[in-house]
Parts: sequence; C-alpha cells; structure tokens
Amino acid sequence: MERKMEPKIIQQLWYLTLKNFKSMIREVSQLVWIFGYPLVFILLFRFGYGLEVYNIFAPGVIILAPIVLISQLAGHFAEEKESGTLQRLITTPVSRSSILLSGLFSQLIVAAIQIVVMILLTLAFGVSIHPNANIFLIFFIPFLVAFTSLGFGLILASVVRTASSAGGLAWFIILPLQFLGGLLTAPLVGYIPTSLAADAMRAVMIDGSLAFNVVGLNMILIVIWGVGLILLGIILFQRKTAIL
Amino acid sequence: MKILDLAIEIHNLKKYFGDIHAVDGIDLKIPKGSLYGVLGPNGAGKTTTIRMLSTILHPTEGNAKVLGFDIKKEAGEIKKRIGVCPQELVLYPRLTARENIHLIAQMHGMAKKDYKERTDDLLGKMNLLDRASSLVKGFSGGMKRRINVLMAVVHEPELLFFDEPTAGLDPQSRRVVWDFIRDFQEKECTIILTTHSMEEADDLSDELVIIDYGKIITKGTPEELKGKLGEGDILEFKVKEIDLRDEIIERAKTLDFVKWGKSVGKHRIVLNALDGLRRVSEIMDAVKVKMEDISVRQNTLEDVFIDITGRRLRD
Repeated sequence: MERKMEPKIIQQLWYLTLKNFKSMIREVSQLVWIFGYPLVFILLFRFGYGLEVYNIFAPGVIILAPIVLISQLAGHFAEEKESGTLQRLITTPVSRSSILLSGLFSQLIVAAIQIVVMILLTLAFGVSIHPNANIFLIFFIPFLVAFTSLGFGLILASVVRTASSAGGLAWFIILPLQFLGGLLTAPLVGYIPTSLAADAMRAVMIDGSLAFNVVGLNMILIVIWGVGLILLGIILFQRKTAIL
Repeated sequence: MKILDLAIEIHNLKKYFGDIHAVDGIDLKIPKGSLYGVLGPNGAGKTTTIRMLSTILHPTEGNAKVLGFDIKKEAGEIKKRIGVCPQELVLYPRLTARENIHLIAQMHGMAKKDYKERTDDLLGKMNLLDRASSLVKGFSGGMKRRINVLMAVVHEPELLFFDEPTAGLDPQSRRVVWDFIRDFQEKECTIILTTHSMEEADDLSDELVIIDYGKIITKGTPEELKGKLGEGDILEFKVKEIDLRDEIIERAKTLDFVKWGKSVGKHRIVLNALDGLRRVSEIMDAVKVKMEDISVRQNTLEDVFIDITGRRLRD
C-alpha cells in the first residue's frame, strides 16, 4: 500500500515542543517553581537587606532564574520515561533526536520568558543599572547560562528514573552552582558557569563595562561549558534510552 | 500462503533478560486482515513479543518481518505503518483528550484537516466528544483507557497492536472497546490482540495463539482449540483431600463419559464429561470424596490452557 503521509522532522519538532510547553505551563507547581524561586530572592534582597545590597546581588539573582531549569528539564525527561510516553512516541516515526531537541527547545522558550520577567521584576523593584549598560547583554548572558542548565539537566535525566528523584537530585547541582558561583554570596570558585556569568553581569549592569577579560572572555567560557555539558548530556541520554 | 499475504512472519524469535527467557523461540505467521489473538497468562511473553514487533526492543536471537519489513533493519518503515496501544495508560495528563490524539497524528504527518475531522469522529464513537477539550488528568480510568486506544488508531495504521486493551475496564466500557476493535478490523486492518482474558480472545479473535513461558503451546481458531477438548461439559469442583487428587481423577475416569481430568491449583479438579450437568451425581458417587463448590459449564479457552499446562491463565 502506498503511504500518503510523510512525516516531516521540522513539523514533528514544532508539535513536540508545543506539547512540552503546554504541559509545563498547565502545571501550577512548575510555574511557581520557575518564577517563584528567583522572586523570593529578589524580595529578600530588596526588602530584607535594602537597596544597596539589592543592587549588588540583583545580577546574581537574574542568573539564578535559568539555573532552576536543571530540575525542569531533568524532571521532564524523567517523567516521559517513567510514564511510558517516551516509549509510545518511539513507536511513531519520530526520531529520538527530535524528542530530545524538542525538550531542549521548550525549556529554552521558558528560559527566555523567565529571564525577561526576572529582569523586568528587578527593574520594577528599583535596581540601579549603569547608564552605559549594554541592555542586550543583560538579557543574553542569562540566556547563555540557560544552555549550561540544559546540559546539567540532560546529564541528570540520564541518571534518574523518576521525576520526583530528578527534582530532589537537582538540588545537588543547583545549590553548589548557586553558592560556589557567588550568585547570592561572594563567589568561591571562579570558573564555573554561574561565577563567570555573575561576574560578567555585574560588570555590565553595575559598571557599564564591556571589557573583554570580564565580559567577552566569560561569555566564551560559558559557551564552552554549555556545549560540553549538552554534548555529554546527549551522549548519556541517548545511551540511557537506547533500544536494547 | 504467499509472503505478500502475511502481515507478520516470525522466525525463532527470542528475547532474554539475563537468565529470564521472556520469549523463547517463537515461530508464527499471521495473515493480513486477520484479528489475531495472543493469549497467555501474565508474564508469558506477550508484551515482550509486541515490543519486538513494534521495533522498540531488539530480539536476542531470531528475526521477524512486519508488513514485509525487517524489524532489525527497517524499523522506520514499520513505524510509519503501525499503531500501538500499550497495556499501560500512556497519555499526557496535562494535554486535553483531543490534543493527545492529535499529537500521534502529527507525528505520523497527517494533514491538519484530516486529523481534526478524524479525531472528533473517533471521540464520538467512544462517547467522549463532550470531554474532548478537557485535560486528561481529570478523566476516569475507563475514559483514559479509551483515549489510549484512540491514540493507536488515529492515523489509520495498516497493522494495529492492542496490548491488553481492556485491562481494568468495566463490562460496559469493555463492550464499547470490543465493538470499536471489530469495526476497525472491517477496514482491512490487521489486528494483533494480546490478552489474558479468555473471553476477549474467544469473542474477538479469528485465530489465536496461546503462549506460556515464552513459547507457543498451541494455535488455531477458538473453535478448533475448544473442539480439541471434545464435546463434553467442564465440571469443576474443590476437594479437601489434596493428596488424593490424582486418585480422584483416576476414579472419575473409570466412568466412560469422563474424557479427561486435571488438577488445577491446590484444591480444584477439572473434568471433561459428556452430558456432565445431568450426570453430576454419578461422578460424585465415583470419586468417593466430598465435592465442594461444584460448577458445570461449556468448555472455554481457559480449559484449553488448563488441558495443556495444568494451570489457569491467571495463576
């Protein structure tokens, strides 16, 4: 029998991304987590420590927003595996790469929305930005961090069996990134994605700087982290979901 | 039978998980257009076989062709042509009923207009159109089960795998799903139905295979298989004297109208007896023990299974 239908990869990717996005925004607890966790720190610094401290830590709090995607992505793939939907999709003519990419795309859409909302909220609560600050970089640097979060999320997804364990284990990545990277305190480790991003964001927002050794170099290093983590995550995840 | 007339051709298919031989050398040919039942107890290897045929599990040994395509080398071609209804309820809880069904059609590349019309038509047939826009997470088990079935058929596959499609359904919902499956078969679709329900296999299958411990133990039409047991009634009863079961069966078989007998489980004995209903008292006299919980019925596929294995399907 001649087949009339011919699945197209781009369409499959679009529909899967849309499905992931709908599933995410319809879960109130996920929305609370995505927006609520960084918001707590905005309020804490602004009203707990005062405007001066808030101005110093606001760039770090903005970086905090895409970090929470680690548990989001790991939870998403763990849920697909646990509920059997991943296996159901694999019985259709869609590739595992498309399923994986759609998971990443939907999280990037969330990251973009989340970063915009967080930046607008920090502004709404009165953060001071240097008059020469590059606005594009204020949005772009956290977006680069989102890529490293997706890498961590994929690696975690390849290890865990259930969505609940993904949520729990994600803290073992989020908290070190948060504290070692100096998002809410002084940085302890210099070359992890969060400390690189926090330094670059503070240079752009507070000093209005575009110095290569702080901004450009840090962004390149974050990209290297992101590419490395995502590649490792893809390899591990593909191995974990391989047909045996 | 010509190769082209075959929907599925299986050669010495095996799947081992460590020491467990889930599927242990199955050979089978399933003609196109048939509704073929795969009957067996839980853990017999039914689902593992379906998973290999639907290309989501690689065989340890052996091979199979599905619609003429090799399951090891041409998985992509097979996936375009099959529909799979898994045993578990595999749905996206935070999508609506309609969105769940649309997603599978979209993965198969159906035109938007076609899948929208078809989805609503299918939802109507399953009495779910009024809940089409509701999120699936709020549905009852029966409603979810029906959506699970619709997701397998929306793209009009040439070959459908139904893995225990009515597990856990109430009798009314089960009838709805059975009617739906029969209706689908009339469209020249080949259907493979795995079940551990003898009633389902008997009622729906044109032909069936019974498997146990990963091996085929018998195959044929339901009538042929039941016919092998003879024309007698099935008399089943419970005895307290567990150690005397073989002796009780031998005593019963001294009666010329008792064709065969088997002990099932710890306490029960099943006899095949011509005109058994009328002659229960004669059997009672012959076995010389107290018979409890006696039932007399026509033979079923479960009796075929008991006859071969000495166990019930659900044991």
